[in-house]
Amino acid sequence: MSELIHTIREKSQELLAAGRVDGILCLVRDRFDVVQPRLIFRAEEIGSIETSPKWNLAKLALQTIRQSGPSFRLAVVCRGCDERALLELAKRNQFDATRITVLGYTCSREQAESCLCVRPYPEKPLAGEKIEGVDPFADPRVSALLTGDEGKRMARWAGLLSRCIKCYGCRNACPICVCTPCKLEDDLWVERAVVPTELIPYHLIRAFHLSDTCVACGACQDACPVGIPLLTLQLLMRRRLQERYAYEAGLEADRKSPLLMDFDHASPAGFELPAWTVSSEAPHER
Amino acid sequence: MSAESVRERTPRDLPRGMSEKTEDMVPIEDRSGSTACCGEVRFVRTTCPYCGTGCGVILKVEGGRLTRTLPDREHPVSRGTLCVKGWSAHEFVASPDRLTQPLLRDGDSFRPIPWDEAIALAAGKLRETADRHGPDAVGGLSSAKCTNEENYLFQRLIRAAFRTNNVDHCARLCHAPTTVAMVQTLGSGAMTNSIADLAGADFILVIGSNAAESHPVLMGEIYKAIDRGARLVVVDPRRTAVAENAAEHLRIRPGSDIPLLNGMMRHLVDAKLYDEAFIRERTEAFPEFLEYLKGWTVEGAARETGIPTEKIREIAEGYARAPQAAVVYCMGITQHACGTANVIAVCDLAMLCGQVGKEFSGIYPLRGQNNVQGACDMGALPNVFPGYQAVSDPTLRAKFAQAWGVAELTDRPGLTVTEMISQAGKGIRALYIMAENPMLSDPDVTHVMHSLKKLDFLIVQDIFLTETARLAHLVLPGACFAEKTGTFTNTERRFQLLRRAVAPPGEALDDFAILCRLSRALDVPVPYDTPAAAMEEIAALCPAYGGIRHSRLEKAGLQWPCPHLDHPGTRFLHQGRFSRGLGHFVRPDHTPPQEMPDREYPFYLSTGRMFAHYHTGTMTRRSPFLNREKEGAYAEIHPEDAARLTVGPGDMIRISTRRGSIVTAAVLTTRVAPGTVFVPFHFAEARANVLTNPVLDPVSKIPEFKVCAARVEKEAVDGKP
Repeated sequence: MSELIHTIREKSQELLAAGRVDGILCLVRDRFDVVQPRLIFRAEEIGSIETSPKWNLAKLALQTIRQSGPSFRLAVVCRGCDERALLELAKRNQFDATRITVLGYTCSREQAESCLCVRPYPEKPLAGEKIEGVDPFADPRVSALLTGDEGKRMARWAGLLSRCIKCYGCRNACPICVCTPCKLEDDLWVERAVVPTELIPYHLIRAFHLSDTCVACGACQDACPVGIPLLTLQLLMRRRLQERYAYEAGLEADRKSPLLMDFDHASPAGFELPAWTVSSEAPHER
Repeated sequence: MSAESVRERTPRDLPRGMSEKTEDMVPIEDRSGSTACCGEVRFVRTTCPYCGTGCGVILKVEGGRLTRTLPDREHPVSRGTLCVKGWSAHEFVASPDRLTQPLLRDGDSFRPIPWDEAIALAAGKLRETADRHGPDAVGGLSSAKCTNEENYLFQRLIRAAFRTNNVDHCARLCHAPTTVAMVQTLGSGAMTNSIADLAGADFILVIGSNAAESHPVLMGEIYKAIDRGARLVVVDPRRTAVAENAAEHLRIRPGSDIPLLNGMMRHLVDAKLYDEAFIRERTEAFPEFLEYLKGWTVEGAARETGIPTEKIREIAEGYARAPQAAVVYCMGITQHACGTANVIAVCDLAMLCGQVGKEFSGIYPLRGQNNVQGACDMGALPNVFPGYQAVSDPTLRAKFAQAWGVAELTDRPGLTVTEMISQAGKGIRALYIMAENPMLSDPDVTHVMHSLKKLDFLIVQDIFLTETARLAHLVLPGACFAEKTGTFTNTERRFQLLRRAVAPPGEALDDFAILCRLSRALDVPVPYDTPAAAMEEIAALCPAYGGIRHSRLEKAGLQWPCPHLDHPGTRFLHQGRFSRGLGHFVRPDHTPPQEMPDREYPFYLSTGRMFAHYHTGTMTRRSPFLNREKEGAYAEIHPEDAARLTVGPGDMIRISTRRGSIVTAAVLTTRVAPGTVFVPFHFAEARANVLTNPVLDPVSKIPEFKVCAARVEKEAVDGKP
């Protein structure tokens, strides 16, 4: 067992034993050697906590919090991308974030490369050492999609996007996609019953709609059955936001998105941001 | 909840300036009567109930109810992806339309009866029919939606209780030609390779498959191949979603697949591009086949298919020269009066070029139903016992009779689905239908209805009161995929576990339990009560599945053949040696479609599926998210034809054939060629199979769903044309 997992299991044990959380959302390796998500309530199950494969849990965490009573407190064993997704959801007032404790762990170089991750760590990791992220635009998988003249790029993207079979997996897997009704379903943009979807209404509206919320976790791309490079689409949006406003979704707890500009530069009022947004654990007080 | 009501209720929760953006993100709801814990939340890994790809799904269970379906990132086939049907797999399970009690016909309606009475009645009526009219007066339609263990018990019951082989299922309507033709040529009637192998192919020929809509996750492997540089060529009369994404789409005239394949093979022979060594070492009957090919030319093929000669040569050479070439086919090949010969031609092409018996290349028939492979494997077929062991073999009959605790089994081959239905009320007096809906799925459904109504006794076991169940004398409420254990076998021969996540509704029972009870009521001993124990009996009787145990399937399933407990399963077939020994070149004798457009019925009519719905729609049309995508029936017609008929988008059109007519909404699209109309068969209110031609392929008995002649007229609305 790696030291990283050991630390996480120990901390989980401690939190449950002390009654500081009521449940732990994590990945477990079952007795058949298969990893899957699970909501753990008992200390006996802690020995099976796992940290790979990559499996974003932020959306499950959000659902769990929303569907439980207001005093139910949840710990989430997760990577940096999940922590950022949770922070973004908290900033967007999607759940009472003081009920969440993040047990964050860092990712390896290999994991960072495979995810094209700029920041392969939570802000204050419980386990593991922070390593430097990768520059996704230096990666050939991304750069190959962004080079060449406009006609060629357009043809390449149109070819990839026309594979879409409207599984809605990108939307379903995205931790931030929680709008009701979803823009893809409001019958303004996306024609029903037609595949491939039209390029602009489905994919570009989704990309723009997430422009200042996407935390680049890549869950959309992981869920895509037909290999559309959805993360690259979002990376472009994120880069623009960074260049223009030095803003990155999922990072600064007390700074709201520049796209929500209201000429008032005071910090968001009316709700309190939890301490775990800058530390790995919420200071629970009973 | 509307955005407005949220804003009114919780204005103080919204940080200043965030309202513009957050209005559509619904903020926290206060839950009154809160409990400290969110209650039971379980994630159950299981197998998707829709197509033959066999994706891994994780059902989220909260407080005994299914609330979500998630993709399984550890699954060997789907690897964390799903199509829209998979993501919605939980939605129909708790439908208020689910059957919850056994129902007995009472005049024009039904009344609920207790299970004991239902089982006694079913057993009594079936027994009485066999006693009075002979064993072959009883028939059973098993189900490609049910598990292997259920299919096994079903055919076991029919064969052991009544000494008849009248058992079949809907494979007759999809891949019967595949099992027949591939056994004849290669020795094994299943996809030769694995789904993941497609990603390694260099040239992929897709004939008559719209995998992008019908097998979307499998299509992902084809895209992986394309991303590696592979060439995708699609042969289809429709410009399908697969065709849209192909390097080349050849719009073939319906029903001319053999001329195309023979033309390709003739060119490869003339150009000496075939694999001589492979043919010499691995095959037989090639000289006779060469002789046969002399009767075919590329020019003739071009005339019959409408595909230019240079294209025929080009794709033939592309296929032959590729280091790894795959052929993917589906209903466009099989659902013809020459369906068996069509598949034979595909196998001949693969053998001619040596593109089979190795990794990545091979022949990929895409099975439609989640367990249609398994239903065939389990012997829900009128001529073979489980494991494709012929009923004509006395040694095998003795083996099965002994295992099933009966004195003898019959060698008389049984009737197929289509034959049982047309014999209903004549030779067949009582029919037991488990989870099939021939009132929508079979050709010429008007005839099906008349036939089924003539039966002395019809038992339908299903999860909904389907169009077929409405005709039954006795309806038995079964369980759906989320409510039972057992195994499904996907299109790549992979046995996969189904795990129970919730209980069946009301008094509904899982089909395995119903079959155990009915078997025992008919004096057929069943010495076990669990699907896992049934699998042990199957393994003991079928060499190809000898190593299959539920305990071995937990992690990633197993692909047959898997003959013993240490066997790792088989990723691709025919390595070094074909299942039958030498590959056998067979002449694919061409029969043109039995009904061609003429003056009276000038259109080609073709049927098929669309991405959001599945087969007869019993599940998908009860899934709100899927039904939202397409709520009602439609037909695709080319804009030029529509203009001629003064039909606009959404106008109602009447489509008629010699069997009957339907009225449906027109979708104007160039996906169909001029002179062609396409009708999906999901919709009970405009049944495509009112129209289809029940003419059968003489070998496999598959109906010619894919081609018939039709007339299209604008439907008068309120007396105004």
